[in-house]
Amino acid sequence: MAEPNQLNSSRRQLLVRGAKAAASIAAAVGIARWLYDPKGPSGKIETIQNSILKGLPDFSIPRKDGQIISIVNGQDRIKTATQAIELLGGIERFVKPGDIVAVKPNAGFATPPILGATTHPDVITAIVKLCYVAKAKKVIVSDNSINNPASCFTISGIGKAASAAGAEVVMPKDSYFIGQTLAGGSLIKDWPVYCGPFAGANKLIGIAPLKNHNKSVASMTMKNWYGLLGGRRNLFHQDINGIISELAMLVKPTLVILDGTETMMTNGPTGGSVSDLKKTNTMIASCDMVAADAFGCSLLDLKPADLPYLALAQKAGAGSIDYESLKPVRAGMSME
Amino acid sequence: MHQNSGRARTFETAIGILILVIMIATAIGIYVISQDYNMSRFGISTAGNDESEGDFTAIGTSETYNYDNLYEKINGKAPMYQETGFVKLDTQRFAAKTNSDLSFELYIYDMNSAKNAFSVYSRQKRPDAVDFNDLGANTFGYLAGNAICISSGKNYIEMIGSAESNELVNGMKEMATNLSAKRPASEKIAELEYFPQGTVAGSWKLQIDNAFGFDGLTDTYSASYKVNGKAVSIFLSKRKDADEAKAVAKNYYDFLITNGAKAVSVDSDILKSAGASIVDFYGAFEIVFPADEFVAGIHEADNKQAAEKAAEVLISRLREING
Repeated sequence: MAEPNQLNSSRRQLLVRGAKAAASIAAAVGIARWLYDPKGPSGKIETIQNSILKGLPDFSIPRKDGQIISIVNGQDRIKTATQAIELLGGIERFVKPGDIVAVKPNAGFATPPILGATTHPDVITAIVKLCYVAKAKKVIVSDNSINNPASCFTISGIGKAASAAGAEVVMPKDSYFIGQTLAGGSLIKDWPVYCGPFAGANKLIGIAPLKNHNKSVASMTMKNWYGLLGGRRNLFHQDINGIISELAMLVKPTLVILDGTETMMTNGPTGGSVSDLKKTNTMIASCDMVAADAFGCSLLDLKPADLPYLALAQKAGAGSIDYESLKPVRAGMSME
Repeated sequence: MHQNSGRARTFETAIGILILVIMIATAIGIYVISQDYNMSRFGISTAGNDESEGDFTAIGTSETYNYDNLYEKINGKAPMYQETGFVKLDTQRFAAKTNSDLSFELYIYDMNSAKNAFSVYSRQKRPDAVDFNDLGANTFGYLAGNAICISSGKNYIEMIGSAESNELVNGMKEMATNLSAKRPASEKIAELEYFPQGTVAGSWKLQIDNAFGFDGLTDTYSASYKVNGKAVSIFLSKRKDADEAKAVAKNYYDFLITNGAKAVSVDSDILKSAGASIVDFYGAFEIVFPADEFVAGIHEADNKQAAEKAAEVLISRLREING
């Protein structure tokens, strides 16, 4: 039988050990609590040009009947993109002197232009130069790439084309994301959205290649805004149609360009072989993303009904599937 | 007693230290392994070495992607691989020594089995693919413009060039040959030998699930043939046993009928004896039958006679296999 002193000693040891264990657990919990970030990427925004962005403003401009969507046939992207904007009233309708224009291309992948997975550099050149013709104060080109951003902008040729045309290329960083909630949305709820580079911008132009997509069937002007999502955005693949339609509600650009010069018909969104591409020689400019994508379906040998997100976006008021009712302006360029 | 408690404390302390050492060693080991981008296990020299692959040299560092972050490399294509047994992806870029603008990126997908690798290979095969016939046993490959794609054992391999260039294609072909030689594929895809002679070269395809839109048709192989000048596609799927084969064949037939197909007469006595069913599915003929543990048939044939002829040859071949 243990002596009373030994029992007291054992109890003391038990208490001491218990206290140490409790302190260790408390320390672990404290560290975990300190590291825990319930909000995800920081909601703080780095100020750019002394203005703080509180989210994505409405960049759209008033519509003009008969100048909502243009469709130009041709092989030379610089010529067709320029013509497409001319048919909608010219760049001066969209960009005013002193404007700061944000251009959002698809710079998602570190792949060369030949594959058609990213916005073609020639379209970047055309649009950026047009903005400066309209006496824009500044043009910013940016995207939240899927692969390493520096590699994406370099290998896609977008960075070089943008810089050569006089634009500022902005790489993503954590502080450029702000939690956004779409009123009435079920998916975009306090989700980090890439807004920083667009702080202070007056106009927003989206430029997208026309592609098949393994998940969403097609990737066009509305899907292009997927690049603005931060965090683990691949989670939204589970409701790809829902997220695309919500993005069309969240983002109200001034203009979108849909490049169907070489359409990726299969193996999208990354492709991999020039055999995946078909020369459809068409450039679309539009103030209505839904209409642009609805027309784009035809180049993919699809019908609008094949893309559920179109109907969702139309129902939400983002645009019109019946692009013909918008009286598209058409032109064809002679074979170069 | 004091001595005993002292020994007990020492023992407990020793156990505690041992546990901590094991945990730290595990953490270090995980870190070290995760930093291992060693492509040399594929027989490929990496940037920083003096060696290179012929006229091309590795540039940048190799990258590795696992199941959780595969989408960071291939985005919307990731599910196709993830749903087909994907384990990991290793990538490396190469550039021509004499022209850094000429480059290609090598992708090596570990798909866990030859069957899985072949499935993603065949499902993405381009219509204008030019097949390679000299990459070694159990290895399939083709050239499509600026890209070379290979199925070799458990690996699906892509080499994607930055341009359509003979120099680039030759460099990629050389690497493809070297890869095959250094890591020959031992795993065979047995089902391909069940097909009759006369397959259109390179037309084999494997649909792991949901073949022809029917979720009951899994692990379904198909190949193209020409019968009297008419294009025909033969398919077969090995089931667990003859009972399952019968059930799947019936279910597929019912699926076709439910979706608007019309039953048509079977003219061939061989097909009748095999219990084959023929339907006209919006102008294309489908034939399905069980043959021991196989579900087999003809898919989307324009010509009924050609379809029946091909089915007869297939029945004969399967009976030959089953003895």
